[in-house]
Amino acid sequence: MANHPDSDLVPYVRGELAPADRERVARHLEDCPECREDATAVRALLENLARSVPAPPPIHWGRWRAELRARLDGRRGRHAWWWRPVPLALSASLAGVLLVLAILGGPPRPTGSDPASVEEVLLGRRLELLRQLSLVERLDLLEDLDIIGQLDRLTATSEG
Amino acid sequence: MELSDEALCRRVAERDEAAFDLLVERYRERAWRLAWSVLRHAEDARDVTQEAFVRLYEAAGSFGGRARFSTWFYRVVLNLCLDHRRRNRWWRLWARDEDEAQGGGLLERQPAPSHDPVDQLGREQTMSALWAAVDRLAPRQRATVLLSVQEELSTAEIATVLKCSEATVRVHLHRALKTLRQTVERR
Ligand SMILES: [Zn+2]
Repeated sequence: MANHPDSDLVPYVRGELAPADRERVARHLEDCPECREDATAVRALLENLARSVPAPPPIHWGRWRAELRARLDGRRGRHAWWWRPVPLALSASLAGVLLVLAILGGPPRPTGSDPASVEEVLLGRRLELLRQLSLVERLDLLEDLDIIGQLDRLTATSEG
Repeated sequence: MELSDEALCRRVAERDEAAFDLLVERYRERAWRLAWSVLRHAEDARDVTQEAFVRLYEAAGSFGGRARFSTWFYRVVLNLCLDHRRRNRWWRLWARDEDEAQGGGLLERQPAPSHDPVDQLGREQTMSALWAAVDRLAPRQRATVLLSVQEELSTAEIATVLKCSEATVRVHLHRALKTLRQTVERR
């Protein structure tokens, strides 16, 4: 038995495979007791997991809503700033930082032909870049505190 | 006629507060459940859930409409969880025990049909061990399990949420279930 359809078993059990693939897996299961056992175990495991999903703790939605409101109101002044065109010098410096990050990051080095590990590396790198970018954004934010203060006042007067 | 999530999201982009409230109503439970299941920390999950809706409000315009709103929003929640977890790793290790003590009870939803109390107890212990094993999975494997089993997303939808191929999702799920099986079979 050459190719056991290991990673196809979950989608097979969940009925997600395209007809041709479903057919292929079904034929394999007829001849391979090992995979048949795996499929049965996978089905039981998925059913057990689905039946026993831990419930999250109760939450006071009224208070949660009030907090969300406060958060939104707090961000609205800043929001206006986000939509303004980024000043030329600032965008140039941001591009510079991104360039440095890209160079330091170097090309991705996948560890094998396994699609999961390759994507893991790429995703991890992307997430790391995002984190660094948000740090840059926070720094920019500090530099522009004065402008934000002004904008806050503008929003307050136009709304009030 | 009830508006679709996608239509509501487009209205949020035009600063329609009522549309935003409706989306909050539709998605707050799901966001809370997902954030809590990833972080297993009520305060952090609360923070992430609120932040996810703030991001929705701010970035509704960037929702392309090619994907379903639900997958887009799940992605926002998951990204915030990952970011939160990274920033607070050292703190979490410290606070974990305390949080687990407050804990959301396992097995509160849909108890398994069983008449034998001894059998039931053994079953609950097994399920607790199973979910504890889910918590110990590598983050991507864990995300695929939560999205598929808990949120009932298809492989294709999970691929959209995690921005990877369906083949990758299948590999993650396969490995996760293999690990989980070992947990059950060892008991
Ligand atoms: Zn086989």
